[in-house]
Amino acid sequence: MIETLLTPLHYDYMLKAIFVSAVIGGVCAFLSCFITLKGWSLMGDALSHSVVPGVAVAYYAGWPFAAGAFVTGLLAAVGMGFVKTKTRLREDAVIGVVFTAFFALGLLLISLYPSQVDLRSIVFGNILGISNPDIVQVLIISGVTLVVLGCKWRDLLLFCFDPNQARALGLNTTALHFTLLTLLSATAVAALQTVGACLVVAMLVTPGATAYLLTDRFGKMIGIATTMGVGTSIVGAYASYFFDGSTGGCIVTLQSLVFVAALVWAPKHGLLAQRARRREAGRAEVAS
Amino acid sequence: MMTTLLEPFQFPFMVDAMIVGVAVGAVCSVLSCYLVLKGWSLMGDAISHAVLPGIVIAYAIRVPLALGAFASGLLCAVLTGFIKANSRVKEDTVMGVVFTGMFAFGLVIFTKVKSDLHLDHILFGNILGLAPGDLRDTLIVAGGTLAVVLALRRDLLLYCFDSGHARTIGLRTDLLHYLLLSLLAVTIVVSLKAVGIILVVAMLVTPGCIAYLLTDRFNRMLLIAAASAVGSSFFGVYLSFFINASTGACIVLLQALVFMVALVWAPKHGLLAARRQRRLAGSAAGASGRAV
Repeated sequence: MIETLLTPLHYDYMLKAIFVSAVIGGVCAFLSCFITLKGWSLMGDALSHSVVPGVAVAYYAGWPFAAGAFVTGLLAAVGMGFVKTKTRLREDAVIGVVFTAFFALGLLLISLYPSQVDLRSIVFGNILGISNPDIVQVLIISGVTLVVLGCKWRDLLLFCFDPNQARALGLNTTALHFTLLTLLSATAVAALQTVGACLVVAMLVTPGATAYLLTDRFGKMIGIATTMGVGTSIVGAYASYFFDGSTGGCIVTLQSLVFVAALVWAPKHGLLAQRARRREAGRAEVAS
Repeated sequence: MMTTLLEPFQFPFMVDAMIVGVAVGAVCSVLSCYLVLKGWSLMGDAISHAVLPGIVIAYAIRVPLALGAFASGLLCAVLTGFIKANSRVKEDTVMGVVFTGMFAFGLVIFTKVKSDLHLDHILFGNILGLAPGDLRDTLIVAGGTLAVVLALRRDLLLYCFDSGHARTIGLRTDLLHYLLLSLLAVTIVVSLKAVGIILVVAMLVTPGCIAYLLTDRFNRMLLIAAASAVGSSFFGVYLSFFINASTGACIVLLQALVFMVALVWAPKHGLLAARRQRRLAGSAAGASGRAV
């Protein structure tokens, strides 16, 4: 029994996968607190799809994949910002138009030169086959993201919560806006490796949403989200060995289960707590 | 020259693909006008991803795949609505959590259920490899959806534009809400074969955006959206034959191209028109300044 449970840990590739997933899960979770507060959840989705043409081009040109992905991700973000300010279209519609165009472009490139890029590893991630240079890239991205978030988190928090107040206090909100956007692109690129383009948004949203249900304080929220991100990534990657497939699917399914648990049983904002409060209020009314 | 250009039409699978592409484009584009007005563009994205577990489960228990896809797409929309109403998490976040959770679950059970489903076909569409009955099914469902949307066009429009007003004049807005969601889910299920999960959202957003840039009248918007989508679908399929590329990607890229053209040259809401207006306003201000 114990023997079976320990088998995944005997394989080098499993250990690597668990370690890298944990790092990415932690960084994404940290960022997810800001993203959910800011209401940029679908921006994460859009950026993670927009990086596909960059990955394709980077493969042909022999660049590190992260560089290409990062460039197209930012390009898409800038494009969205431009179209949104210049037209009367709603933001969500603009996001939809731009990211699907980028994704289609990536798909076209890959279908034109099929042999070199594995579309599946972009869309679903390929953490079990991650190469050492890719691990280094992921670690560098994660390190830089953590440092920037660590230094700037108060400013970013104020910016996410109330940009007007941030501006009034003399913070450079444009710079903060682009900092957050850049961090988002960078982590989306890193997370692409573990869970793939379709599920990156989960890593960037679910931990923050879960933590938001569980606490009212931002410091605690970061702690809870990061713990959850790291924990689910480790357990999910480990469990995927037994499920014989989709590491990203396992990690994200696990995160969703944790979210559902928080939704139901959260001490203050959960469904049960709300119902209990409502019942108590009803009883108090009857008594009075 | 002429024979080369006509070559695609000699293959039955190309003709089928064009018919299906055009039908799907028409339905999606009409619906996209409502979605763009309502601000539901990304609802299409969420529902399209959420159909995956439904397809896999339907396969496992041997019900028609479309039924499973429809049910799980609708479940995603209902769950999103429920969680949003009962918690303090923002709507876009809830949507992100729900659809990724369902998609991930779909992936996990996909690896567990032994099937001859091709994940690539579900994700990216397989319009060039339609099964014999697909053409008929697509046309029936697309036609039905289109008929419902057009029959209720005024009610739906009022609901999308101003749901408060719709309620005041006695329309059943909750009914319209779920009707629109169901139509969306049906449309997505129909479109999966043509462009796949990931690019359906383009078919459901881009034509509406193009039309919204070009006109201020809703009936015209419907026509423009439909024309741009039908044109892009037809030429996308046609083009993909010659450059030997992903058909779904070609369709979506053509739509994006039309969008860019509209963005720059739209007579009233385009970038050039806006610049011209600004310059006119500037010179008018300058003239009045001199007059004073």
